[in-house]
Amino acid sequence: MSVRRKGPRATMVRILTYGILVAVALVVIFPFVVAVSTSVKRNTDIFTYPPSLIPKKATTVPASDVGLTGENLPVYTLPGFDGSFALVDDDTPLAEFTALDDPTRVVVLAADQGDKTGDTTNIDGEEEDIFAIVVDGETILAYRSRLTVGGLFQSLDNAALQVPSLVNSAVAKQEFGPRFENFSEVVTEKKIGRSLTNTLLVTIIVVLGQILTSILGGYAFARIDFTGRSALFMLYLGSVMIPFVVLIIPLFQLMLQLNWRDNLVALIVPFTFTAYGTFLMRQFFVGVPKEIEEAALLDGASRWRILWQVMVPLARPAIATLATFGFLYAWNSFFWPLVIINSGNPDSFVLSLSLSTLGGRSSTDTNLVFAGAVIAMTPPIAVFLFAQRYFVENSASSGLK
Amino acid sequence: MSAVSFTGVTKSYKDGPKAVDDLTLNIADGEFMVLVGPSGCGKSTALRMIAGLEEISGGTLQIGDTVVNDIPPGDRDIAMVFQNYALYPHMTVRENIGFALTVARVSKDEIKRRTDEAAELLGLTEYVDRLPKALSGGQRQRVAMGRAIVRSPQVFLMDEPLSNLDAKLRVQMRSEIIELQARLGTTMVYVTHDQVEAMTMGHRVAVMRKGLLQQVAPPQELYLRPANLFVAAFIGSPAMNLLPARIDSVNGRITATFAEHTITIDQAAIDKYSKVPDYVGRDVVIGIRPEHFAMAEDTSDPAQTIEIKSVVSESMGSEVHVHATVDVPPVALDGQPVNEDADANASTTKIIARVEGFHIVRMGQIVRLAIKTAHVHFFDATTGAPLRDDDERTA
Repeated sequence: MSVRRKGPRATMVRILTYGILVAVALVVIFPFVVAVSTSVKRNTDIFTYPPSLIPKKATTVPASDVGLTGENLPVYTLPGFDGSFALVDDDTPLAEFTALDDPTRVVVLAADQGDKTGDTTNIDGEEEDIFAIVVDGETILAYRSRLTVGGLFQSLDNAALQVPSLVNSAVAKQEFGPRFENFSEVVTEKKIGRSLTNTLLVTIIVVLGQILTSILGGYAFARIDFTGRSALFMLYLGSVMIPFVVLIIPLFQLMLQLNWRDNLVALIVPFTFTAYGTFLMRQFFVGVPKEIEEAALLDGASRWRILWQVMVPLARPAIATLATFGFLYAWNSFFWPLVIINSGNPDSFVLSLSLSTLGGRSSTDTNLVFAGAVIAMTPPIAVFLFAQRYFVENSASSGLK
Repeated sequence: MSAVSFTGVTKSYKDGPKAVDDLTLNIADGEFMVLVGPSGCGKSTALRMIAGLEEISGGTLQIGDTVVNDIPPGDRDIAMVFQNYALYPHMTVRENIGFALTVARVSKDEIKRRTDEAAELLGLTEYVDRLPKALSGGQRQRVAMGRAIVRSPQVFLMDEPLSNLDAKLRVQMRSEIIELQARLGTTMVYVTHDQVEAMTMGHRVAVMRKGLLQQVAPPQELYLRPANLFVAAFIGSPAMNLLPARIDSVNGRITATFAEHTITIDQAAIDKYSKVPDYVGRDVVIGIRPEHFAMAEDTSDPAQTIEIKSVVSESMGSEVHVHATVDVPPVALDGQPVNEDADANASTTKIIARVEGFHIVRMGQIVRLAIKTAHVHFFDATTGAPLRDDDERTA
């Protein structure tokens, strides 16, 4: 522990430091929050203005609340009225009246309301009947400017109050309502389920394969003296320096020769051998005191037994590091699957591919895209949270002390 | 239990000196043999050849009646304790001790019985379910021994097993190992660089230097009759004072002169080192053990007394170590000072005298030291061989 400085100046500095850190953290975490929130929104809810991080759904009341039967009714507020209203009928004939003395005053009433006075007036060259209507206890003269269909709103507070109104002039009430069905929909309808299984299969086999080959190779490089060992090891190390893009074309041709195009095998086999992992394991094994192995040798153990019963249990931290890196790499790999799984056969898709098709230009189901992204994101985050110390830990020296 | 015998065993590396050169050494059944020497002398290599961890470049190595040159370590029926214990960190004490038995497919009940027995013998019973990291240094050392004894091997090999322990524990473990070996009666080969361990523990001690065996003898004989200059310098603590000196004959008495000091040698020493008269007028190396000095008294023979200035004095309670310098260059062997911490280019040699504890010696004080010349050793200045007839370099 370092000594903490004290005093008001130090406090200020600390507050400032934490302030900046929190601000940066918020900026970094924001896209995740958006992704998670969008993944549980309704599709209609995504592009509303003002935008909201909170997923919402329309508020409803059971039909029985207003003495009806059937589905739940959506709840609205109406301009000029207090309280909430249930939309009991969205197919009510409505009439729009315009006051004679004030053309800007428009009143919507049920179509059968208003009494014809018998007089007519000329509006833009048409004869229109004049009606006497009652608005807020005041009788005014108006002509019927439009017949339309709208909603009939039943007040939830006053059983006697029914208001006919245009639906689009009413404001729908909303409440917090995440839509988890997005996940099941994306899994079933968008075939993410198949991709998820494929990805799991590929990742698990790749990780297990990497661990196995790295242990065997690393041990051989660390402890078995064979001709050309150091040259081979340099070659191995050198291969780490080659960027993957350089390998894509030869690897692709190789896969064609093997007839592995569009096959999950092409995602597994080339990646079960890793120079990096071999290097990691070798470094660890080199660090294990030789005497431990010699003691086992004197105890009569064979090399094979020494490897699996003495060295591998000691190497657990290194193996965990290797598994974590291997998992993340295999899970997130996108470019190689994109190249080799290319005939549009979604049965061989892995998650990263499915997501890219899901989120293509013509995509309309934004919420489902995000739901798929969240599904793809969760395992690596979980792995990272559980295994983060292996990222940080110096893998070669741990476990012995 | 078995004897171990090296016959002309050599270990050479591709480019480099021989680590072990033509080693012939017979270790009897049940013997406690200590291999001792400075670092790089080949003692550990010799031990590891017995274990089978080093290949043998030449000669034959037998355990019992079997030549084991090409037998893998696991089949030699030997057990080894390493300097760093080499416990399996992920196994409990019980699993550590029982591992060899597990490998040998001994039944579970038998393993339990034998590990319990070994743990009991070593006082580890309450720790059997712990991991090595939860044990102290001494306990780990015991586990390493338990791992060795549980197999009842033909031979125990120990490679500096005590050097990682603190001084007090080392003394305690030293006697425990002696007792254990005596009780089990198993042949033991014990490697150390610490000559105190070598002297106190071994039935016989083999002193090695630069791959060559110097002398094999019981501890006391090593001390009293060193086979050469190297053994003389190596065995004993503080080390024997070795000084270049000229032999003269004065009135029929042999004298030795170093720097400004001349001492007359007692006839008893000449009887032991019978070649000394042949070296009259020549330079030799004389060796005087620190305890063969005493504070001169009035009755002391002036011809066997030197006056010297104390540089440092260390009081040990029962004795005082008086350090002084003599104006002669340090004795060298193959171009290196025999005393490991001496400076090869120095023009003076440090000597240490052990005198009785009641003397008070201050720094810079001139002291008169009487030398028990009957116990002086003589060596040839170039070969390092002792100036006696019964040269017994080989064992």
